[in-house]
Amino acid sequence: MTAIVAAPVRQPSFGAVRLRSSLRQHEPRFFEAGILLALLAAPTLFAAFVDGRSFQGEDNWIKPLKFEVALSVYLLTLAFYARWLPRGTAQRRWYRIYSASVVAAIAFEMVWICGAAALGTASHFNPSPEGEIFYSFAGIGALLLTSATPVYAWLIARNPTTGLAPALKEALVTGLALTLPLTLLTAGMMSQMGAHGVGGSGVAGGTFPVMGWLRDGGDLRVAHFFATHAMHFIPAFGLASVALWGPAVRLPVRLFALGYIAFVVWVFAEALAGRAFLPGVG
Amino acid sequence: MSADFLFQVANTGALIGWLVLLGSPLFPAGADRIAGLAIPLLLSVAYAGLILAFWSSGEGGFGSLGEVAQLFQIRELLLAGWIHYLAFDLFVGAWIVRTARAEAVPFYLVVPCLALTFLFGPAGFLAFTSIRAARTGRVAAAHLKGDAS
Repeated sequence: MTAIVAAPVRQPSFGAVRLRSSLRQHEPRFFEAGILLALLAAPTLFAAFVDGRSFQGEDNWIKPLKFEVALSVYLLTLAFYARWLPRGTAQRRWYRIYSASVVAAIAFEMVWICGAAALGTASHFNPSPEGEIFYSFAGIGALLLTSATPVYAWLIARNPTTGLAPALKEALVTGLALTLPLTLLTAGMMSQMGAHGVGGSGVAGGTFPVMGWLRDGGDLRVAHFFATHAMHFIPAFGLASVALWGPAVRLPVRLFALGYIAFVVWVFAEALAGRAFLPGVG
Repeated sequence: MSADFLFQVANTGALIGWLVLLGSPLFPAGADRIAGLAIPLLLSVAYAGLILAFWSSGEGGFGSLGEVAQLFQIRELLLAGWIHYLAFDLFVGAWIVRTARAEAVPFYLVVPCLALTFLFGPAGFLAFTSIRAARTGRVAAAHLKGDAS
């Protein structure tokens, strides 16, 4: 009788509800910040709708929108990968302080980028004294927020009980580990050069669909994009590798990772040489 | 997209919300979601978008009546101010309907409060609070569970 009374009531569980709780469970802070950023896209989109101003040939609010989407995907990915951190990591004091500072860095980036859009001025590469101060802070913030990828790589690599197939674990750790160095190489060079366009007009005319990459010259943002998405592409290949060659074979993942590095370097070199990425598109 | 067109769209949206509140005894849960949440949220998105896009173009501020008047010289900020009225008045209207339902205030007493809130915002809130005070002998900020008598 007692057992019947104490039996938990089963709540109806729908796909979206299950997905939400499974994503939120291991890293609620990154999950909630990611959702908040995605929701922020609604007023930003409306601002793009009503604001007639443009900057370097592109609507003022496209850049904040891109960052909201990109950083939301970034945070939700980390929230998803958090299930493979060693048990108890999220409760540790150092981790809580660290993850809060990652979210704070992202909040700073967004305020800075939205603020610059509202003022109709540049966020990155703003030549005014205040602009340069903000830009240097934003550089530190960008480094801090991207540092979550090697931290996750290290933590997941050290966890012997992830339950992942060896090939998939290797892909996940390698993708996370490569994100920061590749991003530093590409975004760092872009920062040194003071612009993302090489050899073209630097103004978005005909642009690459969705991404808005320049068509009449090199665009360093292409390599930045692929560098930062190593954390997605390489683990995605890991899934395919497990399906094709089995869970224990790690060589395909290693070869793919090497190929991916070569691809990012090639895309980067092409942009530095002033050549557009896939010139036939857009 | 012109400010005048957005004004029309926002007014229509708010009006739909008020009609839903008038019909709320027929479908209380749906009315709460539409007039108490969905439409105020849509208006809030529009408001926030207008502020993001136009706040920096306005002069003036909140410091004095003169500054506020200066702020509203920009038509888009004037529109944002109007949408602020629409969103919050509707939100308060929905709160009135929910509170009246929970405290068993008859709907015929709620309707004039809704009309006043629709036209003159705070006057409707004042009327509803007065009706609650007259019925219970006190003024409470929120409905307390198990309080309806």
